[in-house]
Parts: sequence; structure tokens; C-alpha cells
Amino acid sequence: MFNKTIAIALLYALLSTPLLAQNYVVNVNGIVCEFCAYGVGKKIRKLPFIDPSQYDQGVKVDIENQRVFVALREDALLDKSALFKAIESGGYDPIDIQEIPNKESVEVIE
Amino acid sequence: MKPILAVLLFTLASNLYAHQPVMDMAPRWNNGYGVQTRIEHANSETTTWLEGVYTFKPSLRMTLKVPQSNGEIGDAIFAMPIKRYKNAGAFTSNWGLTPSVRMPTGGGSKWDAGLSLSYSSESRKVYQLYDLYTLGDTTGVDINFGLVHADGKGSSWFTLWDITAKDSDSGQHLLSGPVLVYFKRNLILRAEYKFSAYDDDSQWDGDYFGFGVGLVY
Repeated sequence: MFNKTIAIALLYALLSTPLLAQNYVVNVNGIVCEFCAYGVGKKIRKLPFIDPSQYDQGVKVDIENQRVFVALREDALLDKSALFKAIESGGYDPIDIQEIPNKESVEVIE
Repeated sequence: MKPILAVLLFTLASNLYAHQPVMDMAPRWNNGYGVQTRIEHANSETTTWLEGVYTFKPSLRMTLKVPQSNGEIGDAIFAMPIKRYKNAGAFTSNWGLTPSVRMPTGGGSKWDAGLSLSYSSESRKVYQLYDLYTLGDTTGVDINFGLVHADGKGSSWFTLWDITAKDSDSGQHLLSGPVLVYFKRNLILRAEYKFSAYDDDSQWDGDYFGFGVGLVY
């Protein structure tokens, strides 16, 4: 009974915790050059959930490893489909996306 | 035809780069556009090209190039580059097919049709472009290859080598030399010098100098 109560309490706590804004990293095929980065960044920055106060107006492109980092506004949720479409309209192919839980993790991943 | 030129297929063009798509590298994104001006000096004459490009989507662009020399407008060239891109890891490449038309805006009455088949690829360190073209009664080949130096902060240098060959009714010539391209966000600078490696062309004389600056949005 005790364990069940704890489990319910934990579940409630988990569900009642607001979704904190996260940053994400997208692996992108073919993004190897600075002007590739410019075009993709230009498209992503138009998305409403991007936080322009982080990275370079919300986006950071790592052409060394073909990754795109995006920062979300605190009150926003990620629209993965829109993000992938923005990258495609920039001329490149997104492969997958991973969450970056906090700033410390960004440092580790980078 | 000399052996070095025989492998390349050529003819005549009133301007050296008249066939080339404007800004092959950018803009690659949907609804991108750009303007560029290039100043060329060859055959004791300086020509200024005003060029524009609009990218409907990565696979389809529209370009317009207008030459000006001695205060007079020359024949403008309109083209529709159709590209098929392939992205794979740290490598991107494309095949391009570019129909074009040279319009008699310089005062003549002759229209010329053109077609270009190109391939270019880029990795983190290497860029290469091969372009086989025909325009009017000219056929030629352009080859660019070399190294890319990106700083990871929005700018990059391309140090390339260019080989340009052309065959025309007036003869054949082959130019070759270094090209330096600089990108900083949406700014493109290009400087090139080509020496005359082979000249059996009655309408060509000497070396070539070129400088261009462009902006893409």
C-alpha cells in the first residue's frame, strides 16, 4: 500500500510538472558549409517557437559534425514537423533529433 | 583540334562565363534570392555583369545576367537551372541541367539557345564543379576544384583552381588559374586570374581577370 501511494505521488508529481523549454540538436545530412548554415538558420529562425536570445538568434549550426542546435522559448513546445520542414526548405535533409536537457548538457554534447 | 581540347567539346561565346548559372553555391533555400555584380577584364575590354537569381526551391532556380561594356548594354542571358541534390553525411552534391536563352538586348536580332550540364560537390574540405555547356554556336567546359577553409563562425574561404576551355568558329582557347571565393553569412566575394594556356582563337587575346561581389537573402 505504501509503495502504491509513493508511486501515485511520483506519477502525480511528474504529470503536474510543467514542460520546461528544452533545446534540441538535429543531425542533418550534407550541411557542410557556412552558406549552407546561413540558409538553414534563416529558415529555422522564422519558426515561432525559437528563442532568439540563445545561440545565434536561436540557432547554432555545427558544420564540423553536421548538427543544428535550436533553442526553444520558455513557453513553447517543439513542432518537430515544422522544424524538419524548415531544414528541408533550407536545402538539407534532417535525420533525427535529440533533446538537450540543460546548458550543461549542451557543453557536453558540443 | 588539339588533343587537350578534343576531350572537352566546345564552340563560341561572346563572353567567357555567359553560360554559367549565377552563384552556383547559393541561394539554395526556398524563395531565396540574390544579386551579384562581376567585373571581367579580358581582350583589352572590361565588362560589368549585373546578375540576379531567384530560387523557387532547391531544385529550381531562375537567373538573369546582363552585361555592360563601354556604357552599352549587351545581350542578356536568362536561364532556369534545374538541380538534383544529394545529401549524405558530411557531403553534398548536385547534378544540374540548365536551359538558357541569350536575348538580343544589345541591339541585335539574334536569339541563342543554350544548355548546360553540371555536377558539383562539397565536403568539409573539398569543393569541385564541372560544367559542360553549349550556347549559340559555342561549346565549352569549366572545371573548378580546390579546398574549403571554414572558420565555423559564419565565414569560409575557397581556394580553387579553374580550367576553362572553349571551342568556337573563331578557334579554341584554354585558360587556367586560381580562384579565391569568400563567404561571410550572405556576402560572397570572388576574385580570379586566368592565364592563357593555349590560344588558337582569333577573337581571344591574353589573360583574364575577374572580381565579383554578391549578396543572397
